Amino acid sequence: MNRLLPRLAIAITVASLLSSNPGTAQILPPLKKAARVVIIKGPEVELSFEHLTIIRWTSNNPGGTDVHFGVVHYGTDPKDLSQTAKSPRRLNHGQRTTMFRVRMDDLKPQTTYYYRVDSEESNGKSDGVKSPVKKFTTPGPGERIVLIPKPNH
Amino acid sequence: MSRRRQGGKPTAGRHAGSKAGAGPDGGLTDAGFDAGFDGGLFDGGLDGGTATIYNPYPPGILPADINSEIARVQREVTFIFEQALAMWLALPTPTLTGQPPTFQNTGVSMIQTLGKLMNFDQNMGVLRNQACASCHMPYAGFSGPIPSVNLTMVAFPGSFHFRAGKRTAQRYTYSPWYPVFQLNVVGQDFFGGNFWDGRATGYLIQNPDAEQAQHPPVDTQEMGLPDTACIAFRLSQAAYRPLFEQVWGAGSLSIAFPPDTEAICSTPGGAAVFGADTQPVKLSASERTRANTVYDRWGQSLDAFEKGHEVSPFSSKFDNFLKAKYTLTPDEMAGYNLFRGKANCNSCHLDGRGTTSIALGTTDTSKRALTNPLFTCFGFNNEGLPINPRDAFYYQTTPDFFGFTPNPFGFGYRDLGLGTFLRSGFGSAPSPDNTWTSLAPMYDGFFQVSTVRNVAMAPSQCPTTEAPGPYFQKGFFHNGYIKSLKQLVHFYNTRDLFSFPVTSGHCPAGKTEKVDCWPQPEDKNVLDTTTGNLQLTDLEENQLVIFMQTLTDGFSTPYPNINTFTGTCLTGGSASTQGNEFLIPTPPLPPCASAICGVAPLPITPVP
Repeated sequence: MNRLLPRLAIAITVASLLSSNPGTAQILPPLKKAARVVIIKGPEVELSFEHLTIIRWTSNNPGGTDVHFGVVHYGTDPKDLSQTAKSPRRLNHGQRTTMFRVRMDDLKPQTTYYYRVDSEESNGKSDGVKSPVKKFTTPGPGERIVLIPKPNH
Repeated sequence: MSRRRQGGKPTAGRHAGSKAGAGPDGGLTDAGFDAGFDGGLFDGGLDGGTATIYNPYPPGILPADINSEIARVQREVTFIFEQALAMWLALPTPTLTGQPPTFQNTGVSMIQTLGKLMNFDQNMGVLRNQACASCHMPYAGFSGPIPSVNLTMVAFPGSFHFRAGKRTAQRYTYSPWYPVFQLNVVGQDFFGGNFWDGRATGYLIQNPDAEQAQHPPVDTQEMGLPDTACIAFRLSQAAYRPLFEQVWGAGSLSIAFPPDTEAICSTPGGAAVFGADTQPVKLSASERTRANTVYDRWGQSLDAFEKGHEVSPFSSKFDNFLKAKYTLTPDEMAGYNLFRGKANCNSCHLDGRGTTSIALGTTDTSKRALTNPLFTCFGFNNEGLPINPRDAFYYQTTPDFFGFTPNPFGFGYRDLGLGTFLRSGFGSAPSPDNTWTSLAPMYDGFFQVSTVRNVAMAPSQCPTTEAPGPYFQKGFFHNGYIKSLKQLVHFYNTRDLFSFPVTSGHCPAGKTEKVDCWPQPEDKNVLDTTTGNLQLTDLEENQLVIFMQTLTDGFSTPYPNINTFTGTCLTGGSASTQGNEFLIPTPPLPPCASAICGVAPLPITPVP
């Protein structure tokens, strides 16, 4: 009989979790931030077409708000990266790393751009990462540059 | 099945069903359905004269079988309404006891049965021909029941034919679990609410699902009642009025309606005769308050129905897997591991499991779901869907008989979803919080993260959404551009990889739309990049589809009324190109209308 009590308590706890305020019960707490957020892969050009280029990189878990923004600072002069592109993504609570992908539209064809990347929480708080300055050249009309697919993990 | 009208008493708003009118493609329709306006002439309401149907559509936009399919759904709705009447009559005599007073033992079934009766009551359409269920039938997971509409015009015709909305009919299932719409201030992230754009916030009655149920009856392009008081008026005439007053209090429907209420409530909302008056039923202040209370009770009763086991039963294979009562097949498990691993679906579509590392080669050791496995984060995203030129909304640019023009902007309309709602913009609803407005540009093109549960639900006769079938055609995402789950997964997988700077219907020669060509997003600002180039193989895409099919309720106990579909299943073809034969070229797009894109705060970059 006594053995049943813990089970009953667990069942009641679970049942209350499932039947209590359905909204708040579903909101996960924010992810714990890594001691130091670092880029562990990239940044690199994922794909580049005449109308869009995507830069991607992978960080260890940046934590904080669920929605993060990958940020690319770029320009045609390596000393003037004054243009900015941001793309949102949601952190996955079950994964240890996060791949950021930033989409840049309306770049000029056959033009070399310099860039560095950062990431930030949805409230604008920086994750504190900063890549070295890298460069890429956009293709000509009709050309398509695609990074050779590799597994994400 | 009986085709008699449901409950209520005869009304002056009766249609003239014996007359012929213009059919969907400009031809003549047969004399119409038994329960409402039928493509013939309208002889009720304030205008009193004859009203021709509204057909601003070029040939081919309305599906050829629209009239017969509407009639089919009306018969099915009648069948389930009568089923609900029988359930009501079978309820035991209630005992109201305790403090606060409670209907001991029977309260839940009473209010859920009341909600079911309301949901299937076709007298709630302005022309007494449309229930909530007319666009939300059980066999489709309480989403759109007409395959040809899902395949083409996307939005379902309203009570006054053929006004139509702009988006797909969302599933009811698990919608009651969405919290009140709110801004997470720390995260600067909106979540909760109901509808694709979150506009049913629940701010007043603190229940977004109940508020959602309040909108369609007074939506000009849906059920079309011109005043919320008309809901109380129609309920006061309903056969199940005794149950309503039993649940919500004796005399709660005893409202002194003025003599012209019948005519007003039989005239579609938006009619020029109403001007800007949203309360044309003239009630005293106290009577208006009573009508408002009934309006809230309407929403709460429907919410109770949707929360019940008849709609949201947690009876899928996956639920049984969590209880160790079902073992996922190797393909289902592979799909699940992709869902929460390589494909990253559970960044937004949370499964409620623990957060154990799920890198390939490891095992999730969570014992069970920590929270309800609802497969949504209640958030919003811009996934980058292209404009769907088949959407009926783009063509409703001229006034109908009542002087109402659903979309004066034509293809100048852009669906900015949550962003438009935050601006209280055209086609949405007023935002109840002006502190949200400044954030609108960050949420343009954002739509609700739907639960994945029951995305694959289909009638038992055609038990899949995927060609070659036999399958039931659905429309996915807010604008129905995607026609199969295979396409849905392929879109997430390759949206960026196969991106072309074209609109739908204009992919380059040698490319196949939805296979190796994705047209440009309707709004590129703040595009979600969690997905877009997942590098999934064809097999992995298929395994994800197989996993999503484990989220269909009805595995451990039959899903009620899953077998009430009396239409025709589709067969043949491939899920990858399902519906592609109905693609039409997007016309040259005029600039986004200033009433949408010119409302402050402006979009981050101009929307093309």
